[in-house]
Amino acid sequence: MKRLIMGAKAIAEAAVRSGLEAYFGYPITPSSEIMENISVLYGEGKYPWFKVFLQSASEIESVNMLFGAGAAGYVSMTATSGPGLSLMAEGISYAYASEAPFLIIDVNRGGPGLGNVAPEQSDVSFVLNSLGHGGVKPIVLAPHTVQESMEHVHKGFELAFAYRTPVILLTDALIVHMYDTVEWDPPYVVKPKVDWAARGRNYGQRHIINSIYLDPPELKANKERLLQKQKEIEKIAESECFMCDEEMDVLYIAIGISARISKEAVLRLRNEGVKAGLFRPITLSPLDKDGLLKYSSRAKKIVSVEMNEGQLAQEITRIVRRDVEVLPYLGGYIPDVEEVAETWR
Amino acid sequence: MEVKQFSSIFENGVTTYCPGCEHGLLLKFIGMALDELGITEKAIMVGSVGCSTLAYKFLNVDYVQAPHGRAPAVMSAIKLLEKDKVVFAIQGDGDALSIGIAELMHAANRGIPLTIFMYNNMVFGMTGGQMAPTTPEGMKTTTTPFGRDVKQMGPPIDACKVLSAFPQISYLKRVVITPKPIYTKDRVMYSSKEAMDSYKAVLNAFKTQLMGGFSFVEFIGTCNVNWKMTILDSKKYVHDVGVKVYPPGLCRDVYGVDKK
Ligand SMILES: Cc1ncc(C[n+]2csc(CCOP(=O)(O)OP(=O)(O)O)c2C)c(N)n1
Ligand code: SF4
Repeated sequence: MKRLIMGAKAIAEAAVRSGLEAYFGYPITPSSEIMENISVLYGEGKYPWFKVFLQSASEIESVNMLFGAGAAGYVSMTATSGPGLSLMAEGISYAYASEAPFLIIDVNRGGPGLGNVAPEQSDVSFVLNSLGHGGVKPIVLAPHTVQESMEHVHKGFELAFAYRTPVILLTDALIVHMYDTVEWDPPYVVKPKVDWAARGRNYGQRHIINSIYLDPPELKANKERLLQKQKEIEKIAESECFMCDEEMDVLYIAIGISARISKEAVLRLRNEGVKAGLFRPITLSPLDKDGLLKYSSRAKKIVSVEMNEGQLAQEITRIVRRDVEVLPYLGGYIPDVEEVAETWR
Repeated sequence: MEVKQFSSIFENGVTTYCPGCEHGLLLKFIGMALDELGITEKAIMVGSVGCSTLAYKFLNVDYVQAPHGRAPAVMSAIKLLEKDKVVFAIQGDGDALSIGIAELMHAANRGIPLTIFMYNNMVFGMTGGQMAPTTPEGMKTTTTPFGRDVKQMGPPIDACKVLSAFPQISYLKRVVITPKPIYTKDRVMYSSKEAMDSYKAVLNAFKTQLMGGFSFVEFIGTCNVNWKMTILDSKKYVHDVGVKVYPPGLCRDVYGVDKK
């Protein structure tokens, strides 16, 4: 059944129905509505698996609580925004290294610094280029509609446990605050067996969730193991190519709300007889490199539409090795359909 | 005398701590208490960052290594999700009172049933003997080569005083773990009172958690290596200076475990 729902509420519902066992969070605009909606669902007590809801004293506490929950094999999540994500970086690094799963919803706001609370996509470089010290590559999902946000929460839990890794759902103030139609009821995520979890002789074994390897050969082996896992994670790379032909005049590249707006620009250009298309990474990390190379090679021009100074274009350029024009929106402005179309006209 | 075998301790209790350090003693007491209470199988240790980080090598319990100062947050989540388990940590004074004082205070304020053992050696041991929030006035460290200046740095922080402010703590105690040197005519002997007191405090802290309360025990101990003292002088320092700055005593015992 189709229904109209606010992004934050949809995320909260998807999380709880998908089997959220613990939520830890510290309020920050524009993410707080997710926590507030979750607190209602927790209070209603209709979901027996939802054991813990706790307002932490800081994002440092939040991430370490997620780490504890993940280490003990529980499905946990938080929602935050740029300043909070910065504080979480150390904990994400520990969790990545010691393979504790959890999901962080990063609702991007204007940055750097305190910035503002308007939508931006300014955490792209931060999440893609080592989210924490020592080389950290979490899985990053980038939904562009409210329904897709729900699907990504569900998928986020699945991936976090399948690969025992932190997962980031990168979204922005606009998608989280908009009312949108959805037609999807998330099923319960059946957790794989957590026979590795440290919860007191789980499955009769002693379990150590650790990231310290004082001897270089041991640390090297652990890093190699994580890199090997990274290779396997490459397989889940997913993207959408909207109106992509064998030959294109212009290929737009965008994620999240920028992608949604760019789709409209593609349709307008198509009406004018321009062969336009949009490449949209669905998983931002791993990025679908094959898809990107395939579609970009068919286009005369590539334009990256971003609500930042060109952070995604930087990633794209590294892969396609040719000029990528950037259409940047800074400070909380969102892309304008005509302006996007104008980059070709 | 018969030597008791502690199933929670690997290699018959041999640790790799510096000779003369009481970190190893504390581990032994924890292992003994886990065994005595029969809770080794359901214990989960959360490691802090400092010399106690190595504890997972010697205690045969489940283990999660937290970032520096954040053990209380990691423990809180585990305990809330695994209510029947026993969750404990050994924190250094730097870990608990410098970088991690916020996490410690909030966990204490919530009163989640956890047990924290804080080894207070009055310096940062692991990183080579820098000043800690607990460094006594005038004590020379590698970052206070002329002695701690309390005008600039403030007086040493007293964990038991700080934590006394939180009503939901159930067991709060400070003990000296360093054996006291006793000088006889021809040699030096060590008192066993400190070991007995410390063991009792460990046992009672666990009992408090089992009864549903938050417990915190501070152990005043040495770090002869970083204090740049002989083992004997370091033990003397604890009993001459340490106990004056940090007088041992029971601050709170809601369940009356200390009396029993
Ligand atoms: C975020 C962070 N900052 C600094 C350090 C370096 N560091 C490791 S242990 C430590 C201090 C340990 O002192 P204490 O907690 O008193 O424990 P001790 O080693 O004396 O037992 C510091 C500063 C770190 N590991 N992580
Ligand atoms: S550095 Fe100090 S605290 Fe650490 S093991 Fe050695 S003596 Fe003990």
